[in-house]
Amino acid sequence: MDDKDLRHQPDQNSEHHSDDENHIVSLPLYMMVFGVLVVGTILTVAVAFIDLDHIFPGANTLVALSIAFFKMTCVVLIFMHVRWSSRLIWLMAIAGFFWLAIMFAFTMQDYLTRSSGTFTG
Amino acid sequence: MATHFDTHDEHYHPPGLQHHFEDMKQQQESDSIGMWLFLVQEIMFFGGLFTVYLVFRSQYPMAFAAGSNHLNWWLGAANTLVLIVSSLTMALAVHYAQLGKRNLQVVLIILTMIFGAVFLGVKAVEYTDKYHEGIVPVSGLNLKTEKSHEKIRSPRELNSQTGRDDPRESLRIPVGEKNEGGAEHGGEHHYSNLRGEFQWTDTSLAVHAQEEGFLTNSEKIGYFAGGELNADKFRDKVRIFFWIYFAMTGLHALHMIIGLALMSWLLWKAWRGSYTGEYYAPVEMAGLYWHFVDIVWIFLFPLLYLLGRHFGGGH
Repeated sequence: MDDKDLRHQPDQNSEHHSDDENHIVSLPLYMMVFGVLVVGTILTVAVAFIDLDHIFPGANTLVALSIAFFKMTCVVLIFMHVRWSSRLIWLMAIAGFFWLAIMFAFTMQDYLTRSSGTFTG
Repeated sequence: MATHFDTHDEHYHPPGLQHHFEDMKQQQESDSIGMWLFLVQEIMFFGGLFTVYLVFRSQYPMAFAAGSNHLNWWLGAANTLVLIVSSLTMALAVHYAQLGKRNLQVVLIILTMIFGAVFLGVKAVEYTDKYHEGIVPVSGLNLKTEKSHEKIRSPRELNSQTGRDDPRESLRIPVGEKNEGGAEHGGEHHYSNLRGEFQWTDTSLAVHAQEEGFLTNSEKIGYFAGGELNADKFRDKVRIFFWIYFAMTGLHALHMIIGLALMSWLLWKAWRGSYTGEYYAPVEMAGLYWHFVDIVWIFLFPLLYLLGRHFGGGH
């Protein structure tokens, strides 16, 4: 089979041409996301060697995770096409992270509030 | 929507449409929902390990920093870039599947597989390094090195070279004893390791935290014995880091291997020209999986490789 553009064949549900029908992302947008991911990676490494914990403890980790979160958002929205997907897909993507956040929060509200007890070495 | 009573004899019927779906749009929507449900449970699957990481790192930040500084950050960074490129080629494979371009699809799937294989290759090099350095957390799974002969004195130590596992013996033999010739700075491991034990002697970051006064309560309990910094207790906490490192990167690598298997199948189908501009769901779903695995690594890289770099030291 040769390179044929089959997209322009008759389509029985062309009447609703609304939000999420086979959205084709443009190549420049893909390249832009790729560029953002590469720059984000370089930035992550560069920042890791600078001591930001003098500003407040955990600043380094916060910056690293913020960059990672931004990179993830780019991948999810563009590469994974969530930007052009239905509300239900949005709901699922967000729910996944919401439940993850519950797991983290409920675990840490235990561990971070434990006293060190009397075992002081 | 229009009435559709199994009427595909009468009007145009998309080749990829299953009979239990109304139309392609409904089918695509269902595919996506199913795949996203799977990915959500994958988030929770990895999430369990991220929770373990969170708990132990919050307890023993310095042991984690010490272990992390020992990883090769440049290999981790290179692998991050390799995965990002593979994500791009995967996204482009989906793009050309949408356009119904079979040749570009095939080329891009092959490229994705090559980058995936490069990632796993680098990972294998890293794991081998850990094996040679004696920091695989499983006893016996490290390179077993002979003790230099002048140090062998007691017959019991000689016995242990036969490789027989007698737990009573291991209590008495100083495994991981440091050789003379001083290897104080982290990273350099000049030890004998008869049984392939996990070995760690660099406590500099714990000392640093003690001097600067930012040890956590758990660290004060976890690293010290009788008011003194205890190298063995610190080693055990670093070992926890390496358990988590191997569990998380191992599970991630397993996902990469499954991804490669998926790609091989996809390549076969794409080669045969199964995907057109109207039916390309398998390419898109495999793409979602591949991007998900990429996202996991985007978080693993800074959390495992870079967490303690700003303390200095390491290499």
